[in-house]
This record gives sequence, C-alpha cells and structure tokens, in this order.
Amino acid sequence: MAKDDHRDLFPGALEMMVLRSLKRQPMHGYALVQLIKRSSNNLLQVEEGSLYPALQRLLKEGLVTAGWGISSTNRRVRIYKLTPAGAKHLQREVSSFERMLEGITRVLAPEES
Amino acid sequence: MSWLRGLIFRRRMYGDLSEEIREHLAEKIEELVAEGMPRKVAEAKARKEFGNVTLLEERGREVWQWPRLETFIMDVRYALRMLRKSPGFTAIAVLTLALGIGASTAVFSLVNAVLLKPLPYPQADRIVFPWNLPPRGVNVGFDIVPTARAAYLYFEQQSKTFASLGAFQSDSFNLTGSSEPLHLDGLDASAGFFPSLGVAPILGRTFTDAEDRPGNEHEVVLSYSLWHSQFGADPGILGRAIELNGLPYTVIGVMPRGFAFPRANEMPAAFSFPSQIQVWVPLALYRGPFIPAEPSSLAVVGRLKPGVTLAQAQDEMDIMAKNAEGLFPPNWKGSLNSKVTSLASQIAGGTGRPLLLTLGAVAVLLLLACANVAGLLITRSLGRRREFILRAALGADHSRLIRQLLTESCLLASAGGIGGLAVGEGGIYFARNFGPAGIPRLGEAGLDIRVLAFTFGVMVIAALIFGFAPAIGVTRESLAESLKEGGQRSGTSLAARQMRNALLISQMALALVLVVAAGLLARTFYRLLQVDPGFRADHVLTFQLSLPPAKYPDRAHIVPAYEAVLQRIESLPGVRSTGIAEASPMGGPTDETGIRMPGQAVEDQVRKGVAYYTVTSSGYFAAAGTPILRGRGFLDTDTANSLPVAVISESMAKRYWPGGDPLGKQVGPGALKYPVATIIGIVADTKRLSLREEPFPEMYVPETQTVWPSLRTTLWPSLQTMEVVVRTVTASATMTASVQDAVHAVDPDLPVAGVKLLSTIVAESMTEPRFSMLLLAGFAALALALAAIGMYGVVSYGVAQRIQEIGIRMALGAQRGSVFQMILGQGARLAAFGIGIGLAAAFTVTRLMRSFLYGIRATDPLTFVSVVILLMLVALAACYIPARRAMKVDPMVALRYE
Repeated sequence: MAKDDHRDLFPGALEMMVLRSLKRQPMHGYALVQLIKRSSNNLLQVEEGSLYPALQRLLKEGLVTAGWGISSTNRRVRIYKLTPAGAKHLQREVSSFERMLEGITRVLAPEES
Repeated sequence: MSWLRGLIFRRRMYGDLSEEIREHLAEKIEELVAEGMPRKVAEAKARKEFGNVTLLEERGREVWQWPRLETFIMDVRYALRMLRKSPGFTAIAVLTLALGIGASTAVFSLVNAVLLKPLPYPQADRIVFPWNLPPRGVNVGFDIVPTARAAYLYFEQQSKTFASLGAFQSDSFNLTGSSEPLHLDGLDASAGFFPSLGVAPILGRTFTDAEDRPGNEHEVVLSYSLWHSQFGADPGILGRAIELNGLPYTVIGVMPRGFAFPRANEMPAAFSFPSQIQVWVPLALYRGPFIPAEPSSLAVVGRLKPGVTLAQAQDEMDIMAKNAEGLFPPNWKGSLNSKVTSLASQIAGGTGRPLLLTLGAVAVLLLLACANVAGLLITRSLGRRREFILRAALGADHSRLIRQLLTESCLLASAGGIGGLAVGEGGIYFARNFGPAGIPRLGEAGLDIRVLAFTFGVMVIAALIFGFAPAIGVTRESLAESLKEGGQRSGTSLAARQMRNALLISQMALALVLVVAAGLLARTFYRLLQVDPGFRADHVLTFQLSLPPAKYPDRAHIVPAYEAVLQRIESLPGVRSTGIAEASPMGGPTDETGIRMPGQAVEDQVRKGVAYYTVTSSGYFAAAGTPILRGRGFLDTDTANSLPVAVISESMAKRYWPGGDPLGKQVGPGALKYPVATIIGIVADTKRLSLREEPFPEMYVPETQTVWPSLRTTLWPSLQTMEVVVRTVTASATMTASVQDAVHAVDPDLPVAGVKLLSTIVAESMTEPRFSMLLLAGFAALALALAAIGMYGVVSYGVAQRIQEIGIRMALGAQRGSVFQMILGQGARLAAFGIGIGLAAAFTVTRLMRSFLYGIRATDPLTFVSVVILLMLVALAACYIPARRAMKVDPMVALRYE
C-alpha cells in the first residue's frame, strides 16, 4: 500500500485527529477537513477524500455515530458525533501517542554532556 | 436473516457515503466560487484536493465488507466475463490444462494404488522376504533364486529376528471325485506361512506344526472363490474330505475374500507362481539330511519380531550365511546370501520404476502444458493492454490488476482441474482395462481422496506456474510505455517478448525430452519384436497336462500315458507336430541344476556347472519351432534301452565348450543317480520368460530316458505336469476341442488346463513394454502438438506485430520469398535453441531409462537425430502459416494501417 504512506502520517493518526476534532463538537466531513487543516497550520496536507474511508472505519467500530442534518450554511450534511467508546478510545490513543512522542523526542534530543 | 439485514444496511451506508462525498465536493466548489474562483477552475481544484473519488469511495465501502472475499467474487465475475468473451482462447487453455492435469491424475492414481496404498495385511511393515541371491558373478537370468531346502531349515532353526518364518512353493492339483476334473493352482505352505502373513481364515484354521510333517500333509485350506464356485459357499465344509491328485485331503479352513497370496505379479519371476492361488496344502518339508544336488524351489516369508528392523534382519541373514558355509558342500559357496525385502517394496517391485518413469514423463508434459498456457496468457494480456490502461487510469492499483489476472488464471486452472479429473478418470479406465496384467493392485486404481488432493495440488501449482506470466504484460513501466504510444499500436514490451520466447524454447526442449524418451522405448519395442526367441509362435497351441502320481506313479505308467496322448494329438487332422516339455517357450524356466561334465576340466563348479534341466519328447523341437543348429534332435528310437542322449542349447555349448565341439561329449545333472548322457545336438536358445532376457544354458533330455518322477518332483511328490505344444496347419484356436477329446480318450480324468496360443503368451509378455511405449508415445504426441501450438502462437503474433515493418520492407523492394524466409528463420532459431537445450536435458534424463531399454543405448544416435529432425519439421510447419501470411502482406494496406 505504497500510496497510503503519504496520505497518512502513521496508521491511526488521521483517526486520532478526527476523534479529537469531534470531541469538541459534532460536525460533518467537510468541516472536519477544514478544521484539521486549519488547526495544523496547513502542515498536514491530507488528501481530503481519505477522510471518508477513515470515517467509515470509525463508524464500523462504533467510535462515532452519524446522522443527516442541516449545516450552518444550510446544506444537507451527515453529522458525525463522538460516542463514549470513541472518547475512551481517543484517550487511550492520545496517551500512548504521547508516550511514543516523548520517547522519540528523547532519542532525537541533543546529547547532554 | 442477519446477513440480509446487513446487506440492506450496507446498501444504505453506501448511498450515504456517495451522497456525502458529492455534498463535500459541492460545498467546496461553492466556497471556492464564493472566493471568486471561476466555477470550472474551482471544480478542478476541488477534485484535485479531494483525490480519486471512485477509489476513495471504494475504500470507504470496503470497510463494511469482507473486502478480500468480495473483491474476489467481483474478480471472479469479471474474469468469467472475460473468459467467455474469448471462447477460443479459453477452450484451448482449458483443454491443454485438462490434458496435462488429467494425465498426471491418472498416472498418480496408479502410483497411489501400487506404491502408496496400505497393504491388506496386519502390520504389513513387519512382513519381509529373505530372498536368496544367486552367487555373485553368475548370470542365472534372475535377480532372485529359490532357496534350498537345507538352507531354509538352517535359517528357520537359527534365526532370532523373526517371530515366524514360512516357506512356500507353487504346486498344482487335479481336483477329482465330484463332476469334471478340475485343474487347481495351489501352494505348498509350511506351518509358519499364514502366521507370517498375519491373515486369519474366515472359517476354520490353518496348518499346525504337526500337520506340516511328511506323511501328515492331508489338510487343505480353500480360497474364498473356490469355496464359492465349487462348494456353494457351504458353511459346513470344514472337515469334508476332497480328492486332490487322487489323494484325500480334509478341508480345515477357508481364507477371506481377495486373499490369494502369492500372486505371480507380486513375486520374483524365478518362482513362476500362478496368478490366483485356489488351495493351500502343508509343505511338509523333508527334514532329513542334505541330499546332493537337490533342486532349490522354496520361497520364504517372515514376520519380524516387534522392534526388529529390516537392517537387523539383513545382518542376521548375512551372519547365518557365513556361518552356514562350512555345513554345506563347497560348491554352495556364495549361494546362501540373502536380500531381505519388505513386503511393500516387493509388491511395488519392478513396477515401481516404470511407474516412476511414467510419472516423470507426465510431469514433463504438465510443465509443457503450463508453459503453453503461460505463453497464451502473455499473448492475451498484451492484446488487453487498452483494458488495463483504462482500468489503471480509473484508479485500479497495479497489484489489483495482477490480482485480476491471477484470478483469471486460477479460474482457468480450476476448469482445467475439473476437466483433468474427467480425463484422469478416462485414463484410469484405460489403464485398468488395457494396462499390463503384471502391474500388481492395478484394479485398486481410482479417484480416492489422496488422488483428488494430488489433482488439487497439481492444479494450484499449475496456476502458480502460468498464473504470474501475464503479469509481466502489465508492469507499471510497460503500461506507461503503452500509454505513451497512445494505444495506437500495442507494442510488445521487451520483457514480455523475452519471456514468451523463453517459454517457447522451454516447450520445445521439454517436447524433445519426451519425444526422445518415447523414441527410445519404441526402438526398444521394435528390437524386442525382432529378437529371435528360439521358437516360432505362430500356429502353436499349448496347454498343461498333469498326471496325478497316485495313478501314474512311475516311468512305466507316465511315459506310455504321454506317448498315447501325443500319438492321438499327432493323428488329428490339421496337426503338424506335437511334443511335451516341462515348460513351453515363454512358460517360465525349468529347474536349474548343477551339472557334471565328465572329461571336462571344471575349475569352478559354482561359476560353470549350472543349467536348466528340461525333459522333452521327440516332437517338441519341431512343434515349438526351435531350430536344431547342429547334430540332431530326439527321435523315437531314443528309448529307455538305447544310448542316453541329451540336446544342449547354443549358449550352453558356448559357455562350457568354448571353442570346442560338445557333440559326442558327456553331460548329466549333478545328482549321481541321474545318468550322464551323450550330447547329440545343439539347439537355439529359447526365451523362457521374456524376450529381453539373456540366454541361460539349458539341457534337454528325452522323457523316455529320464528318471521318473522327474527331477522336479523327486523330493516333493506332487502332480507331474508337462506342457503340451501343438503346431497346427490351420488356426490353432479351432483345435482346442479336438485336442481335449484326444486327451480324454486316453484318460477321462485328466484335466486340460491353461489352453493358450503361444502367440498370445508372447504378446502378453510384451504388454508391459507396449503399454509403457504407447503411454510415452501418447505423451510425446501431445507434447509435440502443444509445442507446435505454442510455436504457431508466438510466430503469428510476431507477424501481426511486424505487419508495418514488413510492409515497409516490401515497399522498399524486399522480395516476398525473403520475407517468408525471415519469418521462418526466426521460428527456426527459437526452435534450434529449444532443441539444443532439450538435447542436453535428454542426454541426462535418458540415462535414467537405461534399464527400460533393450538392444540400444540410452544415447541411441538414430533416435536422437530423427527426433531432432522431427522437431525441426514440426516447428517449421507451425511457422509455415504465419510466414505465408507475412509473405502475402500488401504493403499499401500495411502502411495505411499505420
């Protein structure tokens, strides 16, 4: 799956960002993309479409729910909401991610003399 | 019904997903337009940033599926559609595979039946045969010779590795007392025989030690089929007395259905066991002291003690042979060695190797079929580039395309496998009905679970071999290249072309190996037909005539009876000549005996003094058509009162009187009670068992002068059986009834058994080489056809590719003839490559075939040269049509096409 590499930072990263965004408030796909792009200072050039397979995965695992509704711009949109299981999952993922990040940072830190 | 709900739910999910994506794009476009971007540019930008809609939607859907299974089903559907679209290609590919897989299935089912299936004896792995080997350096025509009585008794007494040991020898009986006299094939078996095999009777019991003593041997165990056919499966048969050879025997047991040990085709040839044993009687071996020059006739079977290995038994036999040397006469030196053989390898025996040869041949054929289909698939995948380019452009992964191609290959393989089962079933039917009777357990061949598993395995391997081949046509690079060509010309990528040429070369090489192998077998077969067998098989009828010793105890009774029968037969209209012998030509060897030659310096008894000892009558040589090379044959004047005479075979004369003249010299059996006789004639060597055997010294004595009962029956009083040979003027088969009448006119109680045409006996001895040859010839013909198809495919594709080039060449003034030559030359070059590689392979492979050949070497130049010419001709013929097409190319049309 060579193509997937540049779409995702590492497996699960996109899902983690989606869950984190939904924790703030339920929103639809387009809004999610905008939010992730904006909050990462456009650092993450995510292929917009790749959000949708990720959302389907989260739906299937019961971490989010979805329902049709009307957006602020008066569009018919599918709004995603974090489930309690999703919140718990996010917590676990974030803490493990932080541990990993810490480890990586230590390794990368300039050697102290 | 949850799966149904799941399905409906999924439908909705998919709908939601597409709608959501559409909305996403719409929202983005609107936003961009609102920012002042022209709608067209906005649409393009939105799409670009979104990515491949179709692919991402599919990814989204996949989340809800068992993605592998469902894409697989989709692939299968698509593949089926593609295969249906090109029925010609599909038919050829499936047929090729069906033939390859079917042939392998059929051959494997034989291997399975003969070599792999468990044997119908309890703990069969413990059953062994300590076969007696002929003394080293002495060619007796057999690898294994009968064991001497004294040697067997010694082993039986000394051995510690056997739980039981039994001796047996074939015998024949005349069942009288009920209706028609009936000739029965029987076995003399010692008390240890049945325990060694471990098979219990279904009724009654087998022999006790006490019954296995001379004088007590009046019990009989019946075969299931005899019990059914002659005694109506009477459950009260036990204890009943039946009359065998005029003597009363008590029935003590009935063996289970199917038990007929030993069968001729499972035992060494030297014993000449019948194909179906009907009665077993005690062997009752004489346990007295050693008798000089007594003939050896015993076969031995043993059951190893638990935990004893074959090697340990072999070691013990070797030690016993060494220890026994001092106990026996000096000329026995070296003749006590044994080779302990397991039951499984004994039964597989000689059949194993020809079967493995066939298995090897069929593997080559299968490889060739795979190479052929791979070539077809490559050509096809090149023709389907537009389709692949389109699918790649629509977002199909490269791996996805390969998976699609593999799916198609697997479908082809499956269809080929199913077809293969049908072909295999047909092949098994053919082998069971027309295969040589010499293959043991042939009747058990069939499609069982193991064969099915094998077929499945072959199918999978085949799919893997040819399945990846077309993938070479859809490599990323080659697709990109085609895209650059704008799909105008589907140019062949270099890799694909090289691959296809390599496949074609390997096909030619494989075909060459098979054709050479078949050619060698065919030459062998032809050589065998040309062999001078030492007799003339046409117009000869043979049958067995047994005189029960109770009624015909000695010479005074036996000789007149045979004379009377012969006289009556001779006077029949249509009979040219007739005679008797202990064994008819190709009827197996007679007893081998040590001989003495007074006046002849014999340095080494073991090496020199052996010969077959055959009792014959005066008319025998004429009836069998055995040419008398020097001197004379037996005459009616050679009677009991005249000078004892003998006739010897050519090889005997050469071996014992090299450079000298044996006529007038003296020769006699080793046992002193037999008189020496004066050699009066030399006859041609007669083939005794197979046309391929090497001649062995043989001496003939007239029945009027020999000691009766003959050598064969001195120690084991039994039925005196002679073979009657009748040479007729007209078709021999029509004479059966009148010959039978002639016998019954002498004694109505004498059974006429085993009536056969000599030509049939010879033909039967040839069924095995004929079968192997026909099988391999069939494989070779298939291989040639496949290679020709492969060649045709490659060359015609090449011509289609080069139409423009050829057109340009012609427009520039190339002659049609030179174009024709160019195409032909191209094909010939590939063929020559294949032939070269095939020759190298064949030189190595045919070495393994040496034991199947007769009269030619494994590197027979005639075969190799003619096969090379044949293959080249076939290759050129396959190139001919495409080359003609190339020659007829109209330059105008070809160039316009560009």
